Amino acid sequence: MQAVMEPPAAAKTDARAGKYLTFGLGKEEFAIQVMRVREIMGVQDITAVPQTPEYVKGVINLRGKVIPVIDLRRRFGMPAQEYTQRTCIVVVHIEQEDTRMLTGVVVDEVSEVVTLQPGDIEDTPDFGRGVATPYLLGMAKLKGKVKILLDINKVMSEQEIHGLSDALL
Amino acid sequence: MAELELNELASDPELLNDFLVESREHLSNIELQLLALDQNAADTAALQAVFRGFHTIKGLAGFLGLDAIQSLTHEVETVLDLARNGRMAITPAHIDVVLESKDYVHACLRALETVASGGAFGGFPPNQALLNSIRALAGSAAPQSEAALPEALSTLAQAPPGVESAQPKAPEPEASSGEARSIKVNTQKLDFLVDMVGEMVIAQSLVKHDPDLATLGKPRLTRNLAQLARITGEVQRTAMAMRMVPIRALFQKMSRLVRDLSRKTGKQVELELIGEDTELDRNIVEELADPLMHMVRNSLDHGIETPEDRVRAGKSPAGRLTLKAGHQAGYILLHVIDDGRGLDAGKILRKAREKGILDAQAAPAENELFNLIFAPGFSTAPQVTAVSGRGVGMDVVRKQIQKLRGKIEIESSPGKGATFLLKLPLTLAIIDGLLARVGRETYIVPLFAVREMFRPTPEMLSTVEGRDEMVLVRGSLLPVVRLNRRFSIDADFADLAQSLLIVAEADGKRFCLVVDELLGKQEVVIKSLSGSMRHIRGIAGAAILGDGRVGLILDPEGLFGRKAA
Repeated sequence: MQAVMEPPAAAKTDARAGKYLTFGLGKEEFAIQVMRVREIMGVQDITAVPQTPEYVKGVINLRGKVIPVIDLRRRFGMPAQEYTQRTCIVVVHIEQEDTRMLTGVVVDEVSEVVTLQPGDIEDTPDFGRGVATPYLLGMAKLKGKVKILLDINKVMSEQEIHGLSDALL
Repeated sequence: MAELELNELASDPELLNDFLVESREHLSNIELQLLALDQNAADTAALQAVFRGFHTIKGLAGFLGLDAIQSLTHEVETVLDLARNGRMAITPAHIDVVLESKDYVHACLRALETVASGGAFGGFPPNQALLNSIRALAGSAAPQSEAALPEALSTLAQAPPGVESAQPKAPEPEASSGEARSIKVNTQKLDFLVDMVGEMVIAQSLVKHDPDLATLGKPRLTRNLAQLARITGEVQRTAMAMRMVPIRALFQKMSRLVRDLSRKTGKQVELELIGEDTELDRNIVEELADPLMHMVRNSLDHGIETPEDRVRAGKSPAGRLTLKAGHQAGYILLHVIDDGRGLDAGKILRKAREKGILDAQAAPAENELFNLIFAPGFSTAPQVTAVSGRGVGMDVVRKQIQKLRGKIEIESSPGKGATFLLKLPLTLAIIDGLLARVGRETYIVPLFAVREMFRPTPEMLSTVEGRDEMVLVRGSLLPVVRLNRRFSIDADFADLAQSLLIVAEADGKRFCLVVDELLGKQEVVIKSLSGSMRHIRGIAGAAILGDGRVGLILDPEGLFGRKAA
């Protein structure tokens, strides 16, 4: 509620405030807006689909719907890792060219749902490479840790984007 | 006349939608009855039905304050009323105008559709000219003068008898009782139901084949599960049947087309419809409208001759076009038969050479030659007319039929006519597949493409330049497609003699698919892949297998046909 009451001057920051699902990937903590998340499931049998980019793991059966699954580690150019008990598929709503579709995203582990206030969020720092990373919404500091806010729509967009590992690792 | 504001009632999406649905139904019935009336001007039941249809639409439009529709339907009603009361006889000219009015109302409905789906109202098309021509018809009847429509009126020798005796506005009791037996359902809901039933069948088979269950050995449980299986199967059949619609509506569209075209080209055509009650999947009916239209056009323009030519050839002046639908072994067969001049093999050959599709020495068999008319840009019509000749139509036909997983064949005898035969699957939702395993992946090969399966012996195998592999099957050499290489996955065996070969056919050519193991035959519900996965070559879609995993459906044409090049 606090966020809604903020004066219009802070409107730009307000848009990013709200509830986020945080998850771990390598050493980093990421966060995506809760309203984008449909459900979280354990890793199940993934059917490989030929002629797709390396980060596309394949397709799974989500209660009768066939949905694609991507590996976020590979998407960001991080080294691949064996799936463990903690590995999860986060099913998210993606909007692309007026179509809404569900996509599974493989992450190392899911942490918690947090509410981010406008004051918690900062713009992505300039890494001095002159290249913007369009899928980064910003950074949030929470209990002394940094969470990287992802625009999941842009992460899934067709155009190849610069490896996140370059920017952050 | 186009008022750009809708009143309050018409802006209510629910009311508007009801109006649209109801009016559309009336319009299609009006068209059907008009065409019957065109065949037999004395068909008073048809005349009554047309009148009632327009009357109802007028009432509905008046309620919503849709003046453009109301005023037009009112004028049409006046004309029809004159005819109904025997003060005027129905002529083809009347039918033309009433059909045009029906089309106008249809156009208005389309304009309203955008409103119903949340768009802005763009106004109705102008209708003044149409109004005038309707009034002219009505006016010409009143003083019994034949001056306004001399030709039209003179062709109609006698006024239809018994028109007066027909009851004026009493609603038909059997019509209302007929409606009670069926209800309207949103197609999206229906599709969802069919989807969920498919899931239920899979879930049921998951339970049935659960390994834990097999070890229990409880007869009552087994019995109850068998009962559940029976019921699920029944529910699936019923859900599928709900999507089936008779082909009648599509045929009806064609009779309108035939009427319009024959008047335009000056040819006389009798249309015969057989098997209108044949049912097929609603989606196929929709996709079939275009190819069927092109084929009817083709038959009318290229097949059926002008009355003079026909008489000269010793035939009756009126040509006959037959549309025939029927079932055969899980397929729908659709014939388009005309008794025109037939396909001219010599002309097609000349044209093909001219266009460089065939070289001068080639002498293909007749059926191969006939298939050339499906090539893009191929037309033997001496000149481009409004009806056909641009060589687009038949190309569209073949593409669309292939998309529907169907086949098309041509039979023709010179001077006697031509038959186009379409063979289509009953439904697009389900496919009969052969489940084959390669490594840890399971693929579904559409059964319609499978010719045979066998394990090769080493002496059947040979290679070209040490690379391309071939198999000798009963005297014919077939190329080998290794799925594991094509899809970059691991297979169990590198040695072909240990693998299994599936002989499949794509675009009339046969080839062998290499798989590790055959898992059986299964009917699967086709699911499309989303986004960028939709266009992967060699993959037609996906399906959920009995164990809940996803299997990919192979597209033989993408693997080996024209598309693979």
